[in-house]
Amino acid sequence: MDVILGLTTKDAVIVATSMAAVRGVSILKADDDKTRVVAPHTLVAYTGEAGDTVQFAEYVQANIQLHGMRNETELSPPAITSFVRSELAKSLRSRKPYQVNILIGGYDTATEKPYLCWVDYLASRAQVPYAAHGYAAYYTLSLLDRWHKKDISLEEGMKIMEMCVAELRTRLPIDFKGVQIKVIDRDGVRTV
Amino acid sequence: MADRYSFSLTTFSPSGKLVQIEYAFQAVNQGVTSLGIKASNGVVLATEKKSTSDLIDASSLSKISNITPDIGMVYSGMGPDFRVLVDKARKSSHTNYKRIYNEYPPTRILVQDVARTMQEATQSGGVRPYGVSLLVGGYDADNGFSLYQVDPSGTYFPWKATAIGKGSTSAKTFLEKRWTEDLELEDAIHIALLTLKESVEGEMNGNTVEIGVIGPASDHLLGFEGVKNIQGPRFRKLSPQEIDDRLDAI
Repeated sequence: MDVILGLTTKDAVIVATSMAAVRGVSILKADDDKTRVVAPHTLVAYTGEAGDTVQFAEYVQANIQLHGMRNETELSPPAITSFVRSELAKSLRSRKPYQVNILIGGYDTATEKPYLCWVDYLASRAQVPYAAHGYAAYYTLSLLDRWHKKDISLEEGMKIMEMCVAELRTRLPIDFKGVQIKVIDRDGVRTV
Repeated sequence: MADRYSFSLTTFSPSGKLVQIEYAFQAVNQGVTSLGIKASNGVVLATEKKSTSDLIDASSLSKISNITPDIGMVYSGMGPDFRVLVDKARKSSHTNYKRIYNEYPPTRILVQDVARTMQEATQSGGVRPYGVSLLVGGYDADNGFSLYQVDPSGTYFPWKATAIGKGSTSAKTFLEKRWTEDLELEDAIHIALLTLKESVEGEMNGNTVEIGVIGPASDHLLGFEGVKNIQGPRFRKLSPQEIDDRLDAI
């Protein structure tokens, strides 16, 4: 029941991830960060099978950081997404695939546009203006359909995000301990 | 029998040189002159298509090859070695880059890959160094236009303008006098032809000279229309007619 949401604004991407880490009938912690910064302008948010999620996200992070060090250049968010998708595709036909669903939020410094991509464990990929994984999608996509527009400001985007979180608080049967918001824009990744 | 060839042919001499690589440089310096010039809006690669006989069908020989739609390569030295490196570079640009990141590699990264291949031939058993120096010209969004030289040793240098092969020393002096920061592509082609003229021995026309250009995207070379957000290749070869037109203007 982890929540990960993303939406693009005119110059930035807002990514929200729930903060509860649940195992069985216990909440282990209420400040769990379900994201990893893989490049100066790209964030990977993950949800899925316990263990697989962090393992895969950190594997991606290590590879992208290595590429950055070796070639003294930053990969663009679409290039990183292609890498992530191809790794998931390889994993899919292995003995035990990674069961990880991902949202990649980034700022493409070459085109100067924000970038959001929905990738699931079957290695499907869709670049979208807003996205959610899991049960959260059932409640939030309709709100995002109704209120999201192209080129909204960061403030408007944050208001829509608050609306989504409020809806989830109303309708999800578990307490997900609120969300952590990350913003990715031309200056990089920051927590809000 | 296998033991005799299981040592490296590039072992250090007492003076600290790798003699095989020095000899490879000799092979390059005996090769036909090639040159590259970086302009503010493009890169020019040029070479002479030296044929040993008039019976050779020059149109079927291509010394300047493209590796990706935005990167081209020319050589001085042994033609067959160049062919092998072109094939390896083309394959590697796909398997080690495009099939992972879904975009073509930037010029510098492709050059590093070719340089690694050439260096491996100087530190492996049973192989000899590649007998070519390469000039690689390319474009990528982050670095713009760039020109690199790769040597048989595996060293690579970025250049503003340079020449390799037989007439390289005098060609480089010639280029030093004429290269400026704000050169445009057409000026660079003009200078390339002038420089080649100094070292070409026989007749110089569209069939004895080859020019490759990395310039503005040529959407008409895509081969299809109607797809949004797709750019044509930046690499193209000048046709013999286009070269003749420019030679007439000299």
